[in-house]
Amino acid sequence: MKLLAHLTWAAVAVLGALTLGGIALNHGEPINSIWLVVAAACTYLVGFRFYAKFLAARVMVLNDKRATPAERLRDGLDYEPTNKWILFGHHFAAIAGPGPLVGPVLAAQFGYLPGTLWIIIGAVLGGAVQDFVILFASMRRDGKSLGQIAREEVGTVGGFTALVTVLLIMIILLAVIALVVVNALRGSPWGTFTIAATMPIALWMGIYLRYIRPGKVLECSVMGFALVVLSIFGGQWVAESSTWGPLFSFGAMGLAVAVIIYGYCASVLPVWLFLAPRDYLSTFIKLGVVLALGVGILFVRPELQLPAFTRFVDGTGPIFAGKIFPFCFITIACGAVSGFHSLISSGTTPKMIARESHAYPVGYGAMLMESFVAVMAMIAACVLQPGVYFAVNSPAGVVGSTPAAAVATISNWGFPVTVADMTNLAKAVGEQTLFYRTGGAPSLALGMAAIFARGGGGQAVLGFWYHFAIMFEALFILTIIAAGTRVGRFMLHDLMAQFSRPTAKKMTGIVGVNVVSLVVVAAWGYFLVQGVRDPLGGINSLWPLFGISNQLLASVALCVATTIVLKMHGPKFMWITCGPLVWLLSATFTAGWQKIFAPEPALGFLAHANQLEQAMRRSPSTTTAALIFNDRLDAVVTGIFLILVATILVDSLRTWMGILRGTRESRIFEAPFVPSRLQPEEL
Amino acid sequence: MSRLRRLGALVLALLRELSDENAYKRHLAAHGRAHSAQEWRHFSKHRLEAKYARAKCC
Repeated sequence: MKLLAHLTWAAVAVLGALTLGGIALNHGEPINSIWLVVAAACTYLVGFRFYAKFLAARVMVLNDKRATPAERLRDGLDYEPTNKWILFGHHFAAIAGPGPLVGPVLAAQFGYLPGTLWIIIGAVLGGAVQDFVILFASMRRDGKSLGQIAREEVGTVGGFTALVTVLLIMIILLAVIALVVVNALRGSPWGTFTIAATMPIALWMGIYLRYIRPGKVLECSVMGFALVVLSIFGGQWVAESSTWGPLFSFGAMGLAVAVIIYGYCASVLPVWLFLAPRDYLSTFIKLGVVLALGVGILFVRPELQLPAFTRFVDGTGPIFAGKIFPFCFITIACGAVSGFHSLISSGTTPKMIARESHAYPVGYGAMLMESFVAVMAMIAACVLQPGVYFAVNSPAGVVGSTPAAAVATISNWGFPVTVADMTNLAKAVGEQTLFYRTGGAPSLALGMAAIFARGGGGQAVLGFWYHFAIMFEALFILTIIAAGTRVGRFMLHDLMAQFSRPTAKKMTGIVGVNVVSLVVVAAWGYFLVQGVRDPLGGINSLWPLFGISNQLLASVALCVATTIVLKMHGPKFMWITCGPLVWLLSATFTAGWQKIFAPEPALGFLAHANQLEQAMRRSPSTTTAALIFNDRLDAVVTGIFLILVATILVDSLRTWMGILRGTRESRIFEAPFVPSRLQPEEL
Repeated sequence: MSRLRRLGALVLALLRELSDENAYKRHLAAHGRAHSAQEWRHFSKHRLEAKYARAKCC
């Protein structure tokens, strides 16, 4: 039996190696997406079975005889021992955001290979390790947050810096995902109507849950879903109506203002009325769509049309500038390593773990699942014809401001596409145009629609699936914007309390809440408007900024994780967290440096500002002056991120050197051991 | 068949956890209370305020 198990695992490893080798070495002809699926699945299985098990047994020394916080502090609400597979789903639903969907679609400009390899390898050796170690650390510390753990284990400087870093990252994140929605809905009455309809639907759900059938969330969500699907059909009718169509057709700036107003209102309205019902609906649709996409890819097995590598590995990409290293790793972000996961791993999940050994499938396994979602997004982007992919994702400032100019530029790059191709495709999905839709969401929706339509219905249902995918992306991005603005408000309160508790307390009243919400909305709204005005599409400057900040947060989490591993075992196992930490720091610091100081105007903020300044001298304009200011502001924000993380790194290094030299106490701040009395039937 | 039924039960339990219905049941059991509109409002007020004070993932 043992021999059979060994042989099975050897077969999985060999299959994984062969498929990885196959996709890496096949550069000549299109390959089937199933190669990527098998390569990813085999690598995840081997990583989960051997590496994660080693981490659980030897490094974290998980002990099922030790009572978890869920058992010791059980209150029936936050602290509750939960079945490990239910918790797995709960944790996965919490960590799965738009990042693993949008990042790989943008990184496909390098070809399918670099991004896919980083998604698979980065998750197994970096992202899943970070999530697992932080989940373990929080579980051993009564479910404390990353900031609290950093303060205790590393030092007060680290704790405070972590708080500021998270707030800044949140602002950039909200701006960039709002820009993704704006670019997806620009000039699209069908999409705009569908998303607008989700708002009264959410309000109705809130009232239903509070007054009509209190507590019946699943029942209410099923009705909400049916109404959303109806609104997609309604959207088609609206788009075709000469009266209603123009009413729901907005330009980028109009949509940006609408999203800003939405963000403010959604964050100050009572949560039961709007945010919570919308969040329930968005979570269920998200899980359903991810499952459907997985089944669709396995069923249809589409061929990848994008090559393994494109010419843009040299850093001249139209979607964002910069070479594979470091920008592929910055752009993918959440699909491989996500700093934000450390906030979830030190949030709700550690308070629900019934047995310590459950942290292994939940912490490590859920990240592998997220990585698999990123692989599926990469496949969805790569099933598009390369010419179509670049026509959809490239900004007018790069490819030319007319469709004829855009197709000429893209065809000259070696990716043939015609205006007729794009017009026919736009018509098939019920859009007026698909040119210049930067941000990744429309190309992901096109790929998903192509896969779903090939599963049944063909061209006739392409429009429905495209708008279903757009609705799914916009619905949960807008939910994150509402929730994120609210969280930003609490973070700003926390930050104010660090300086003056009375002032922070004053700001918790109704006026204070509105003022702080306005500040948060104004902060991300500013960057959103900046992205909308950017002639290079906004994604070129904002997505790398978001990627850098997210990966820097992962560096903070890995600093904390390394400190804990060092305190537990000495230097023996430091490589486990130090390896990914060194890689992330080198990628993010290189990217940050290049974004600030690179001499190419398409890449460096300061170089771009200088180029604009020279143009200003020839013909002064207020628009150009604003663009110059924005470039300099982006450079300053990037610099602040780098300084903040350097501060945490220096603080961590000081702690590590002290422990290694024996001049600093190697005290671990874990909760005391209490034997578990949890019965198997309680799990 | 029984495996399918178990899988179905697990999926339903996950949906109930995600929809806070399980947490509400636990709340009722922990405090020895019966379901009512008032009780749900009381529960969801605390539950949702805590839930939306935490960062959501990107």
